Amino acid sequence: MIHPIVSMASALVLAVILFAGASHKLRAPHRFARQIDDYALLAGSAVALAARTVPVVEVLIGLALLVPGLRAWGAVGAALLLALYTGAIAINLFRGRRDIDCGCSGPGLERPLSPALLVRNGLLIGMAVIAALPAAGAVLHGFGLFLIGASVAAILILYTATEGLLTNQPRLKSLSGR
Amino acid sequence: MDVVVISQILLWIVVIALAFVVMALVRQIGVLHSRIAPAGALMLDKGVAVNSPAPKVTATDRHDKPVNVGYKSERGQLLFFLSPTCPICKSLLPSLRSLGRQYRRDLDVVYISDGDAHAQQAVITEHGLEEATYVVGPEIGMTYQIGKLPYAVLIDADGVLRAKGLVNNREHLESLFEAQSMGVGSLQEYMRQTPRITQ
Repeated sequence: MIHPIVSMASALVLAVILFAGASHKLRAPHRFARQIDDYALLAGSAVALAARTVPVVEVLIGLALLVPGLRAWGAVGAALLLALYTGAIAINLFRGRRDIDCGCSGPGLERPLSPALLVRNGLLIGMAVIAALPAAGAVLHGFGLFLIGASVAAILILYTATEGLLTNQPRLKSLSGR
Repeated sequence: MDVVVISQILLWIVVIALAFVVMALVRQIGVLHSRIAPAGALMLDKGVAVNSPAPKVTATDRHDKPVNVGYKSERGQLLFFLSPTCPICKSLLPSLRSLGRQYRRDLDVVYISDGDAHAQQAVITEHGLEEATYVVGPEIGMTYQIGKLPYAVLIDADGVLRAKGLVNNREHLESLFEAQSMGVGSLQEYMRQTPRITQ
């Protein structure tokens, strides 16, 4: 049994990350279609279809994570979706196509594929698994709710900072001439 | 309230504040990285030679007012060639605006672009260039043989072309403004002059 604070915080973090991802995919559909095309896993019309459906799926999973009764299903969906992304990244890393934009973050945060992404997605899948496990039915009082809010905020800010660091990494490498 | 609970709350606040600081630092590093982007490659010089009289052209700006380029006047001119489809040009506009304000006693900045009117309007609205001298048309670009963007040409008050070049970042732009205020077109020219000054 997982404590409800842990499971709820994981679900919230995943939901926010999914919403953020869906929002930049919906705002620049052509860019996203190009990114999918770069992965060279889908052909012609399938690319356009994926570009339209993936953000919608992300939003639906994010919403499911927020509804208490659907949280487990949402978490399983999130884990599967993340596993799909991880697989796509792993295949392209294996092919040696490192220099394509990973498409994981919004505009201005373009970065090439790297094994660090596999670690990041692994951690997110781990959080999805935690959110999918049955939680103990403890009633949350004021401090419990505060803990959820504070930990979600801290994790999300640190997540954004890590994304930024990973984006800066290739720029720093090119500066130091390696 | 229990002391432990209070300490927990305070610690969480500190953790979140520190996380914010880390994120802000990462963003600042990102900005620094984009500022020290590699300079444009050296290109074969064509068009008007530096230190020769600038060709005189008259064009009309967006409001159909005539714009004289290359004539003698009270102030020098900085011609900035841009295009709404060129992202680097747009990224330079805020720097150019602030530099233009700083040097407004010595220099008039003239924005020269070409192409689709809607796209021009979008750039003008986005960067607050309603008041600026903004020419849309090929005449000046053709006369000065501008092949690459963003390109800047500095003409002094006597109508002499003092400096020109591809400008890829704020440093390139600043060097042009600096050239105006020091009266030297390039580092090479400055080095040639200094022996005379010191003698």
